[in-house]
Amino acid sequence: MSYCDIGYLLVFVPAVLVVYNIAPVKVRRFVLLAFSYVFFWKMSRTLIFWLLFTTVFMYLFGLWLARINSRKREALKSCEKTEKKALKEKYNKKKRRIAVLAAALFIGVLLVLKYSAFAEISFNKFAAAAGSSFSLPVHRFMLPIGISFYSLMAVSYVVDVYRDKIEADGNLLRLSMFISFFPQIMEGPICRYENTAASIYECKRTSYSELAFGYQRMMFGYMKKTVIADRLNLAVLTVFDKNINFDGGIVALGMVLYTVQLYMEFSGTMDVVIGSGQLFGVKMPENFRQPFFSKSISEFWMRWHITLGTWFKDYIFYPLSLSKPLKNLTSAARKRIGNYYGPLMSGAVALFCVWFCNGLWHGAAFSYIFFGMYHFVMILGGNLIEPISKRVLPKLRINANGKIYTCFRIVRTTVLVFIGELFFRANGLRSGLSLFKRMVTDFTLKSFRNGTYLKLRLDNKDYVIAAVGVLAVFIVSLIKEKGINIREAVAARPAAFRWALYYALILFAIIFGAYGEGYAPVPPIYAGF
Amino acid sequence: MEELIEILEDIQPEVDYETCEDLIDGHHLDSMKILALVAEIEDAFDVTVPTVEIVPSNFNSAKAIWAMIVRLQEED
Repeated sequence: MSYCDIGYLLVFVPAVLVVYNIAPVKVRRFVLLAFSYVFFWKMSRTLIFWLLFTTVFMYLFGLWLARINSRKREALKSCEKTEKKALKEKYNKKKRRIAVLAAALFIGVLLVLKYSAFAEISFNKFAAAAGSSFSLPVHRFMLPIGISFYSLMAVSYVVDVYRDKIEADGNLLRLSMFISFFPQIMEGPICRYENTAASIYECKRTSYSELAFGYQRMMFGYMKKTVIADRLNLAVLTVFDKNINFDGGIVALGMVLYTVQLYMEFSGTMDVVIGSGQLFGVKMPENFRQPFFSKSISEFWMRWHITLGTWFKDYIFYPLSLSKPLKNLTSAARKRIGNYYGPLMSGAVALFCVWFCNGLWHGAAFSYIFFGMYHFVMILGGNLIEPISKRVLPKLRINANGKIYTCFRIVRTTVLVFIGELFFRANGLRSGLSLFKRMVTDFTLKSFRNGTYLKLRLDNKDYVIAAVGVLAVFIVSLIKEKGINIREAVAARPAAFRWALYYALILFAIIFGAYGEGYAPVPPIYAGF
Repeated sequence: MEELIEILEDIQPEVDYETCEDLIDGHHLDSMKILALVAEIEDAFDVTVPTVEIVPSNFNSAKAIWAMIVRLQEED
């Protein structure tokens, strides 16, 4: 069962809602937790062990840190003023060791389960290439659903307790509900304890407005998924998975279609997830903020998969770039190469680590590492040339804040994103490079004139329906970009208008959804990560 | 405060730091600029900015940054 299955929308969620709302508040908590475990069990069966393992250790590490914190407070009360600094440092060191141990445990489980086979196969290949007959046995493990998401949530919980940002939770039920909440367990968003744990635990009765807003959001997500992402799936499969030597024009078309599909699938799923959370009174963090209005790759990643980006920023980028060795590097570099490029040097080291991890997080393959490195180079490159473009643009009489130049930047960023996604989707790095080479060296529009584009198992009707869907999403994005809360604006309209709009959305998804014979629905892409 | 505004204007001009309340949320300061800003703040005001302080609420306006600096100076 995935979030975009009819079974989830019409059976699972209504069943949880009914039982949840008729149960008394204290029982409701157990109902929600039980359904979250049922949801997990349905997909991962006995691998639920790993989720329980993570939950218990989050709880224990949190309490351990809390105990040291209370000892630290006691010790500080009774010590001399001159000893305070040394005492603080002593306890902080202890806490740091525990936080590192916890992070190593959660990330260690993820690494072993997800990357063992990749590491062993890669080692064997290198050994063979170096002429050695030595080879490691290859271990393949079954992955529990959502491990890449909930492991990061567990790390953030323990590190935030270590940083005194949150209090350790002594309530195992609340912690279990937070980490396993079924709307988020499979594909995120990567929630922070301080943002969602209390509202999940509160178990408010579902109000009419939350029910209406939640289901509206879910329907919009289903529309994105069934009308656009699923419809484009056969074309994407044909371009990327069939060994057909299409010309560069078709490869470019496949690249664009895949990027649209990925956005509609993932952001659509997030609409379903966030809408589901709203039904239970939980406001989950947004994972997308109109990413295709970004003016640079750096900005794109502040708008796309936001919770993953902020996780990497808070737990890898800043701790690394503000660590002692890198701070020393910053100081030395600032003296030599100035206040702009100086910090950029230590930033580049941290940025490299972030994008290496980001690439690898998406999957155990060299193409994902390449994807990460591609974005590292693009973001670093953008930062390197920024002062130059600031000097050059006025000389060329180009208004950096003008509409034309802003449009140019948006288009340039979008093209760079398309290229990154080509490598992301290709079956391996070699295939990605081959497709990219063909796109650049054999680019022609011939296939659009002679009808080859219709051989991608999409007819003209499919292209038109997908385009109408994309246009609808674009208009909604444009309204949101202008700062208008579209759902509140709709809610303020007369009932006849509202219901006409809701029915139009439902009918659009039912009539033009790409399901049944002749279509292949796209499996939940991010659940695989 | 004036010294802080000067630092900010040096790192990212074209922003009205007296009124701007969304330096992070409005993408005026990205993570690289935050690094430059932290290095400048540590030098100019003799404080250490720990990682836990690098949150949007501390960096969304010049006032918020100044409040953080004053707090860190007092804690030291």
